[in-house]
Amino acid sequence: MLSGFIEALQKVGGQAREIETVQQAAAYIADRVKGSVLLPEQSSLDRAGLAKALDAAGLEVIRNGWRERSADAEGGVTRVNFALADTGTLVLDSTEEALRLTTTLPEKHFALLDPGKLVADSLAAVPYLRDFHARSPRNYLAYITGPSRTADIERVLTIGVHGPRELHVLLLPGLSDDFFEI
Amino acid sequence: MNKQRNRDYRNRIEKALATPRLQQALHNFGDAYVVARQNAFAGLDFEAMRTEIGTMKDRVRENRQDLLAEFTRNAEAAGAKVFMARTAADANRYIAELAKQQGVKTVVKSKSMASEETHLNQALEAAGVDSLETDLGEWIIQLAGQRPSHMVMPAIHMFRDEVAELFSKVTGQAESDDIPHLVQVARERLRQGYFDADMGISGANMAIAETGGIALVTNEGNARLATTLPKIHVALVGLEKLVPTLEDATNIIRVLPRNATGQLLTSYVTWIRGAVPCGDGDKELHIVLLDNGRSALAESPHCKQALNCIKCGACANVCPVYQTVGGHVFGHIYISAIGVILTAFYHGLDKAAELVRACIGCRACVAVCPSNIDLESIILHLREVVGEEEGVGAGKSLVFKRIMRNRKLFHGMLRAASLLQKPVTRGERTIRHLPLFFSGLTEWRTLPAIADKPLRDQWRSIPQKVDKPRYRVAFFAGCLNDFVYPELGQDLVKVLNHLDVEVSLPLNQNCCGVPALYSGDRETAVALAEQNIAAMLDEDPDFVVTTCPTCTMALQRDFQDLLGDNPVWAEKARQLSERTLDVARFIAEKLDGSNKFGVPAEPERVTYHDSCHLKRGAGVWQQPRDLLAGSGRELVEMQHSDRCCGFGGSYSFTSHPDIAKRILGDKIEDIEATTADCVAMDCPGCMMQIRGGLEKQEKAVRVAHTIELLAESLAEKTDFGER
Repeated sequence: MLSGFIEALQKVGGQAREIETVQQAAAYIADRVKGSVLLPEQSSLDRAGLAKALDAAGLEVIRNGWRERSADAEGGVTRVNFALADTGTLVLDSTEEALRLTTTLPEKHFALLDPGKLVADSLAAVPYLRDFHARSPRNYLAYITGPSRTADIERVLTIGVHGPRELHVLLLPGLSDDFFEI
Repeated sequence: MNKQRNRDYRNRIEKALATPRLQQALHNFGDAYVVARQNAFAGLDFEAMRTEIGTMKDRVRENRQDLLAEFTRNAEAAGAKVFMARTAADANRYIAELAKQQGVKTVVKSKSMASEETHLNQALEAAGVDSLETDLGEWIIQLAGQRPSHMVMPAIHMFRDEVAELFSKVTGQAESDDIPHLVQVARERLRQGYFDADMGISGANMAIAETGGIALVTNEGNARLATTLPKIHVALVGLEKLVPTLEDATNIIRVLPRNATGQLLTSYVTWIRGAVPCGDGDKELHIVLLDNGRSALAESPHCKQALNCIKCGACANVCPVYQTVGGHVFGHIYISAIGVILTAFYHGLDKAAELVRACIGCRACVAVCPSNIDLESIILHLREVVGEEEGVGAGKSLVFKRIMRNRKLFHGMLRAASLLQKPVTRGERTIRHLPLFFSGLTEWRTLPAIADKPLRDQWRSIPQKVDKPRYRVAFFAGCLNDFVYPELGQDLVKVLNHLDVEVSLPLNQNCCGVPALYSGDRETAVALAEQNIAAMLDEDPDFVVTTCPTCTMALQRDFQDLLGDNPVWAEKARQLSERTLDVARFIAEKLDGSNKFGVPAEPERVTYHDSCHLKRGAGVWQQPRDLLAGSGRELVEMQHSDRCCGFGGSYSFTSHPDIAKRILGDKIEDIEATTADCVAMDCPGCMMQIRGGLEKQEKAVRVAHTIELLAESLAEKTDFGER
């Protein structure tokens, strides 16, 4: 499933990188971002020590004041709840507003996914979707498949309209096996 | 008929036809779409998927009250306010008043066809609220002061230079027409809007009863911003967007992007339930459920299926009329085939009255509809309704009611016409020019003359030699075969006799009724159906064969539709339907006849044109190819072989000859590109159209019915034997 996921993601203009440590994640991000990144509180990423690694890699890590500061950040960093292999889709519980801002406003979205959390397709995702609805009374769930795109002018495909221009998926085993963990 | 309305409509057609780059763009799009869609469905069973969606949507329609209650209960439990808007005005009033109460100055909108339907922007403007469209296409047309010309790609009719001009006015500096640059301009100009706006307005692709949530299927990311940053979110949702469960919603998501744009999935699918966190507090979520004619549509026995539409826009993408004139002609707010129907119910019959006639009836849309809607049949029904409301036109009415229903009179007049046309035909089989005010009819195609002796008058003298017939079949010739192309009937006899089949021509058969039905005169169509059923079943034939697929559809489908509720005729209509086959299928499947014709020494290169009603009505396209290949022809496929030739009966004579001419032009280009010597087909109407166009343009390609080619094979074989 993993190779299928990577292939599907690349087909829609996303990038995938298999890594082993959060330091590698931080280095990958630091290579592509100047200045600051948005990193909302997310237990899986905090447990792995990502904020510290990003800081060590020389990036300013913004962890609050989203609305005011999001415009300055070139990148946003999130975990992924799970992913759909056949379409290369990331599923993110984005009920927390910070998650939504992090995945919509910056030009580059870096998403950390535990490759153990892949399901075959959108039909296989339905039980999880239902579970999200059962766990929380209000939900904002996002399927993200590649970067933002448009073909509204002369049907010419153009990447990056209102949302991120780049989507990088960092596959980090052992990050979290819990489909519902933020 | 409303004369001013018709004049305005004609003007719009003329203007669109004078914009070649629009046609070019829509043709290119149509071509690219077909390929992208095919790739997107690779390995999937589209027929099964659309059956599932259609069935689910039928269920939703029937149980809509329960589902609506369930949705409302769950949405309210999650903190949303749900308002049921009976009309467009009710919806607009609710939203405008909400904006006023909350002191909203500006709203950002993501794409919503429902808001186009209600003219929400104008209503907000009247209430002193600015609205900013953030979908790129919607922003472009908002700046241009236009309406969408496509449901998925609203600005598909505009070009980069026009967009650059619009954007230059916004930025106050000259913007280049480089597309990535223009997209960047939109990104930068619209970004602050999300922060400044006090309200975000979206539509929804689904409203899920199980959760009380909505789902948005988008690509640009603007809907995510518009539903996140402003304090208030209003979702304007047509009632037809209700689905029972998350599985049902997922089934739609699996089909919608694939069928709309050829994407496996859009960049974003956003599931929103309830008042989610926003800034320091919670968002205020209002869900405005829009009826505005939907309940009436759900109750309409003939049209209700249209409510199953998931708004993918595919019916436009494949429509030859749309590709020729665009959505500003073939549409009102909603465009193309589904648009014709929705316009009638959401905006009134008057707004749809011209559009119901603009459909050429090729069924290309029906073949790709992801909700399995028989769009053509519904449009035909609406044409009847308009015909009843406004009349079908005095001339037509006279012909249908007084003449066609009386077979002897009708056929007598055709015979008289064959004599009267002599000064024009000068004894030729082809009319190249017509005098005076008829001249327009032969401006872009020649027309065949009416035969000296119709098939029915020749029938007794056509020899039939079948010792032990396998089958006795009755031939339904149809008007063109009978009165214009009688030689085709002779060939049919030769070919079927060769395969040990005896053919009869029941003389009481009349016009199949399609011209009347397609013009909105149902009463005449019913009368003709009864006459024809009686005539064709009279001798209790094993099969009824046809050479015209439109007649095939009439006998197989329309007669049953017309008489299904009539206790005297329903059973007979069913019997006739069961026995009726187009002749290609009959030969290939009932007679196993593909290899029973000789192979010529020098095979002709033949390309095959799929007639609309044969391929998408009767489901026949491989059989004639097998017959042609089996008889030694070298088959060369043309591009768009199953695209309409532009005939459409009275469509190309009286209702839309200007559009028909363009569609024929496309077909001739495709035929020529194959460099074939002959174009074969199985429809006398297509023959008339395509031969007429090729002759007028003095092309060397000959036009033949498959049966004529098979008869030629037999003739060649005989020649060989005599030598």
